[in-house]
Amino acid sequence: MCSQYEALVAALKALTQGEAPAAVITLPMAENEWDTRPQYESYGVVALDFEADALRGDNQKVDTAYEGSVDLFSHAKDGAGWVTLITETLEAYCDGCWSLNSHVFERGTGLFHWEWTFEVV
Amino acid sequence: MAYELKVDGMAEISEMLSKLEDAAPAVAAQALYEGAGIMSEEIRNAAAEIRTGPGPTRESARYATPAEKEAVLSVGAGIARFNKNGTEVDTSVGYRNSGYIDIDGRTKPIPLIVNSINSGTSFMHKQPFVRKAAKSGGAKAMSRMQSYIEDAFGKITK
Repeated sequence: MCSQYEALVAALKALTQGEAPAAVITLPMAENEWDTRPQYESYGVVALDFEADALRGDNQKVDTAYEGSVDLFSHAKDGAGWVTLITETLEAYCDGCWSLNSHVFERGTGLFHWEWTFEVV
Repeated sequence: MAYELKVDGMAEISEMLSKLEDAAPAVAAQALYEGAGIMSEEIRNAAAEIRTGPGPTRESARYATPAEKEAVLSVGAGIARFNKNGTEVDTSVGYRNSGYIDIDGRTKPIPLIVNSINSGTSFMHKQPFVRKAAKSGGAKAMSRMQSYIEDAFGKITK
């Protein structure tokens, strides 16, 4: 796995597991992606979604680009401060390679959902 | 010492360039339509792979329902109206104006169903089929558009 991707995901997971120095409180993380549904005020999900592109040479993949996503679910309209922390982490580890793909309100659960996508090599 | 340089046939070249200029907007729009068609097909193929069913455990998030998948497949990804801005022409491919569908007696907007599957929710697994199709289909669409433009201009300048 590429080092840029590993560094970014480690940083995002640190945010969601309370290991990041910037995080005063921890953002609980859904285990095994969506296999458990945490009952928290806010929680996050970091996932590698698919292989976006590959550079081939000498009959093998020389480099691979991956597309992943970070999801934040929060009952707080402003994401309880996690929006800023997640975007700061994305900027620090892959400046310019990410975007806010979706921001919706789930009427049934009362959760606000942010989805950032990123592409790293 | 001076060399004399001479070009014959300026009138023909000028006429050919004039023909290209006249044909360019129509060729560009048709090429865009060809590319958008490929993107739409890629999204449809990706939608056919959407997983349906309950989650792995009783408490876990579910996948799309068969009715939701059928709704996505039945309308397909549409091609939006072309926007012309000076020498540029653009469009988008997706489900923005794809309407509503009745599922289990409830009327649901199809764009919302697509967004739920593509981005996931707190109760549904994420299956980013549109993003994936955009990545895999982008290069194919570009290649098709380029070959269409080359063919069209080749015929004009023959």
